[in-house]
Amino acid sequence: MKYIDYVQLNPFQKFWYNFKNAMIALPSNIGKVFKAIGRFFKKIFVGIGKGFAGYFTRFVKGDWATKLSYIIMGFGNIVRGQIGKGIIFLATEIAFILFMVTGLGQVGLGWSGIYNLGFFNNGKIGFHEKAYWAVDEVTGRRVHMPADNSMKLLLYGVMTLVIIALFIVIYVAATKSAYKVQQMKAAGEKPQSFKEDVAALLDEKFHVTLLAFPTLTISIFTILPLIFMILIAFTNYDQSHNFFQWVGFETFGQIFATTGASALKGKTFLELTKWTLVWAVFATVLNYILGMVVALMINKKGIKLKALWRTLFVVTVAVPQFVSLLLMSQMLDFNNGAINLVLQHLGIIKEPINFLGDLSHPWIARITVIVVNIWVGIPYTILITSGILMNIPADLYESATIDGAGPVRSFVSITLPYMLFVTTPYLITTFIGNINNFNVIYLLCGSAQQSNELYRAGYTDLLVTWLFNLTTVSGDYNLAAAIGIMVFIVCATVSLLTFNLTKSAKNEEEFS
Amino acid sequence: MIKSYKLRRIISNALIYILLGGLGLIWISPLVYMIIHSFRADGGAFYSHILPWPNADGVRFTLQNYVDLFTKADNTANFPQWFLNTFIIAIFSCIISTLAVMMVSYAFSRLRFPARKPLINVGMILGMFPGFMTMIAIYYLLKALGILQLPHLALIICYSAGAGLGYQISKGFFDTIPRALDEAATIDGATKNQIFWKIILPMSKPIIVYTILTSFIGPWTDFVLAKIIVGAQGQQYYTVAIGLQIFIDKEHKSAYFKQFLAGSVVVAVPITALFLFLQRYYVEGVTAGGVKG
Amino acid sequence: MKKFVALVLAVLMMASVLVACGGGNNGGNAGNTDTPKGDTPAESLEIENGAKLLVWSADKAVDLTKKLCEDFKAANADKNIEIEVQVQGEDAAATQLLKDPDAAADVFSFASDQLSRLLKADSLAPVFSAKDVIARNSEDSVTVATVDGELMAFPETCDNGYCLIYDKSVVSDEQAKTLEGVLEACKAAGVKFVIDAGNGFYSCMFPFTGGLKIDGIKDDVQQFNDYNEDEVVATLKAFSDLFHKYSDIFMSSEDSRINAGFQETPHTVGAGIDGPWNVTADLAALGDNFGAAKLPTINVKGEDKQIISLHGFKYIGVNAVSKYPYAAQALADFLTNKQSQVERAKAVAWAPSNTEALSDPAVTENAALSAIFEQKQYSVLQSGIAETFWTPMGALGNYLWQESANDEASIKAQLEKAIMLIKDE
Repeated sequence: MKYIDYVQLNPFQKFWYNFKNAMIALPSNIGKVFKAIGRFFKKIFVGIGKGFAGYFTRFVKGDWATKLSYIIMGFGNIVRGQIGKGIIFLATEIAFILFMVTGLGQVGLGWSGIYNLGFFNNGKIGFHEKAYWAVDEVTGRRVHMPADNSMKLLLYGVMTLVIIALFIVIYVAATKSAYKVQQMKAAGEKPQSFKEDVAALLDEKFHVTLLAFPTLTISIFTILPLIFMILIAFTNYDQSHNFFQWVGFETFGQIFATTGASALKGKTFLELTKWTLVWAVFATVLNYILGMVVALMINKKGIKLKALWRTLFVVTVAVPQFVSLLLMSQMLDFNNGAINLVLQHLGIIKEPINFLGDLSHPWIARITVIVVNIWVGIPYTILITSGILMNIPADLYESATIDGAGPVRSFVSITLPYMLFVTTPYLITTFIGNINNFNVIYLLCGSAQQSNELYRAGYTDLLVTWLFNLTTVSGDYNLAAAIGIMVFIVCATVSLLTFNLTKSAKNEEEFS
Repeated sequence: MIKSYKLRRIISNALIYILLGGLGLIWISPLVYMIIHSFRADGGAFYSHILPWPNADGVRFTLQNYVDLFTKADNTANFPQWFLNTFIIAIFSCIISTLAVMMVSYAFSRLRFPARKPLINVGMILGMFPGFMTMIAIYYLLKALGILQLPHLALIICYSAGAGLGYQISKGFFDTIPRALDEAATIDGATKNQIFWKIILPMSKPIIVYTILTSFIGPWTDFVLAKIIVGAQGQQYYTVAIGLQIFIDKEHKSAYFKQFLAGSVVVAVPITALFLFLQRYYVEGVTAGGVKG
Repeated sequence: MKKFVALVLAVLMMASVLVACGGGNNGGNAGNTDTPKGDTPAESLEIENGAKLLVWSADKAVDLTKKLCEDFKAANADKNIEIEVQVQGEDAAATQLLKDPDAAADVFSFASDQLSRLLKADSLAPVFSAKDVIARNSEDSVTVATVDGELMAFPETCDNGYCLIYDKSVVSDEQAKTLEGVLEACKAAGVKFVIDAGNGFYSCMFPFTGGLKIDGIKDDVQQFNDYNEDEVVATLKAFSDLFHKYSDIFMSSEDSRINAGFQETPHTVGAGIDGPWNVTADLAALGDNFGAAKLPTINVKGEDKQIISLHGFKYIGVNAVSKYPYAAQALADFLTNKQSQVERAKAVAWAPSNTEALSDPAVTENAALSAIFEQKQYSVLQSGIAETFWTPMGALGNYLWQESANDEASIKAQLEKAIMLIKDE
């Protein structure tokens, strides 16, 4: 299609056109995604390289005070009048050295954190493999000699590494700062005072003030644990190995195994990944479309008591899911559950249906969870879409009606494209949310679908509920961590793809 | 022609009323079930009647479940204490989370600095790891930092430390506020700090309410992380979500199920009321921020 | 200026680490800091002075535990012991201890199904006063907790099994002798018969009845006896056939369902396989109609086979990393001595593992406990049972009553899969 034809399309046709193209270009887009990841890492390394290149040239060009700042951080700043800043640099250095030497009295922090990480013991994290009871020679009383706790050592090691990395960044920054004051002095400028630095934090550097606290907490409580758990995927940490060691990609090998001892794990991973994707697609699409239909009904002209209808649905959002879903699972119970009782009373079924526990027909449970998820999800869709639905120009519908289109037709050709166009970001988040939808499956099914055909999983388990079971019930920590990484890869691929898709659509929109 | 058009409209509206009525009934039936059975006098966890049945004394409904819930603090149950704990935790984590979300999304939406794009990307990437992956690590981390001895603080940190990552929706909202406002204020000599507090925040009531609401509800509904963090502590530190889970575990189900229902109602009703009361803001916030329009 | 912030961050972070870590360090080093008391080479079991102990007890027994701890303190008044008692369910206790031994209780109660997990993680301190403890407790309660000749926990109860509980107005004592009779009686009355077939603790009775037995753990792998697979499969098939034949009577649901059914008017449950923890409530609900007996027999290919159960014990364990090992040992010893066990039998109807306490009227007059003891002769002891045992066993039991369990070949396949999963690792 030529540009001139393209511009003449209406926005919805443009969207479909782009959508079609994006689907055709899917394979090359996937390629692009990997390229993008490659570029991302390249950028990081180039950035680091640049940082260090500057580090050496600055040393060569610096005067004695700057050179001394390479050993005593902040020296250059203090000598040249930036006392506040200089002292902070110096304090950091002292704190860091103290931390590295003493490890704050904790085995595994500071230098011993590095020492214990497996570099000196064939990849084993720690040294004392087995706990034992010794006898005190003097008193004749027993003393417990515990084994090294690899988990703790690894966590402390990661903490140490993060602190070292942070320190290096600050250290390089300090040398840069020292060189900068030197240059400013040379140029006859007055280096900004500590007070000016602080004032800047409320204006041109306001982003620093705003982001400092959230970044700190996120680094400690999100990023640090994440690094740690990613590393766990490369160890053999499970219930039988409290003292563990690095095993490289062995755990990932188990996930993809098709034969041999790990075949069951491989099969389970494959099965659950398939089901997770099917589930996510159905859960997202059904909730979206049905929710929109209900919202349209509520908002239709001439329908009264709109607030009441909306409230009926929306109330369910506010009730904690562990309550509402638990009640649901009771109502769906095979034995005397309310739903079976009602259906039997009404004569719709003769025998009760085992909605959640029928292992001979796992699809019954799978359909049940999808249907229950509609119950959970529709109110959210109503909340999100009501406002936007009202924004669709009424004349579009009118002209469609004049053309003889029925309600279904106008929904498919007007409402849906418009909504898709406007709510793609919401759809992506919902899709990812559904891949990680723990509550519905866990609270509804529990272990009712547990089967020996799968490795510690049931037919309705998603990857994330499997992960949860592996961590809390069977203690396969390394496997769980590896699955977590796989879930991440699935989510990242999906969202990068859709992101590219919408980006292209958006750009087109902008130039038309 | 006109008549038939009118007739069609009446029929279609009638159909819609029937549909909405039926669906509405389905949607609230679990909640109605919960409320009715929370007043039930007989039976335990498993019940073979749809509606409460008269017990041996012929009593069908009773307030006893609620009375027990609030007056019986024994070795298993201590609902008033749990309620108080959750309330305190929810208040603090809600304040911290809301501040963090506002700060991050404002910085990402209105300010321009070199690290902006990479940070936004990092935020997106972090959001894609399943949260359960790290819960054990968080426990050990809190322990290493010595925070575990203060269970309330530990939970507040858990719920609010990562809050800054939930910036997307409020960033979307801030994006819709015209930049001309900032520029005019800058010309008038306002610092960015002043713009944030005096101009942008007062204009963002819907998204602030939305953030407060979601972060306040969080601690009431979380039963996984809370259990891992304070599970080894005494029950005086539990939140309602852990407590209610204990009511329905295998050991306690038969004795405490009716209290579980009563407790659920006690938790659900205020949250629902709050939610309905603030629904308008919620919708405005999420519509403006969650979609591109 | 970016660096400046980074720097503030780092200082803050380090400060927080510094402040936080300074306080709570008890490390992994449980070194004995007691001053040596002369040159006594023989081990003295004397309690440390000023010991601070944390005790975990199940909520049912916690009041009694508190009282016993007070008694213990009074008996050792010169040692200035401080004891805190916290509620922690028995499964949860082991889980929490494994998650974080440093933060866990010094002395805690657990059931024998948790034993292998605790041993594998070296979480239990051996019993220092083993000789006395072995002498006063029943032999099997000691055997189960003995590893490599060393007793690893203090036996507390001996009744962690299950028996048949039935409503005498529905099931006669005679009918209660066979599974077929029980089901037929329930059918006649239109009430349910309940087994928690999806729970490995109960469902292992199906293969056990066919001759399967657990035979310890070797190299972290669960071992079984040389069982006759055909016989096990035939037995499983017999169970499965019965469940299908009485599909409207047989109910697979958690054991608390039995009590719930007894509580309803009219009763919706006629009988079920239940453990002693529910028996007090069952008795209250059924009154004079309360019946308890050993498990019934099942007819496998014309032969009546006694259903074999799993039988376990409860123990009191001492955390291996306890800072006051001797005080903790002494307290555990006190909590499981004859006197304490008798009091426990009186207060919460837990049957003592202490041989002398067993003859206390509180035990001998309890019908359900007698049924459990009778069943005990037809049981597999819960010793050397791997943690991987429960889930696959539960799934096998759950499978048996499903529609697809209809021929010996598929049952055999399921049995093999379950065994394979149990042996995993």
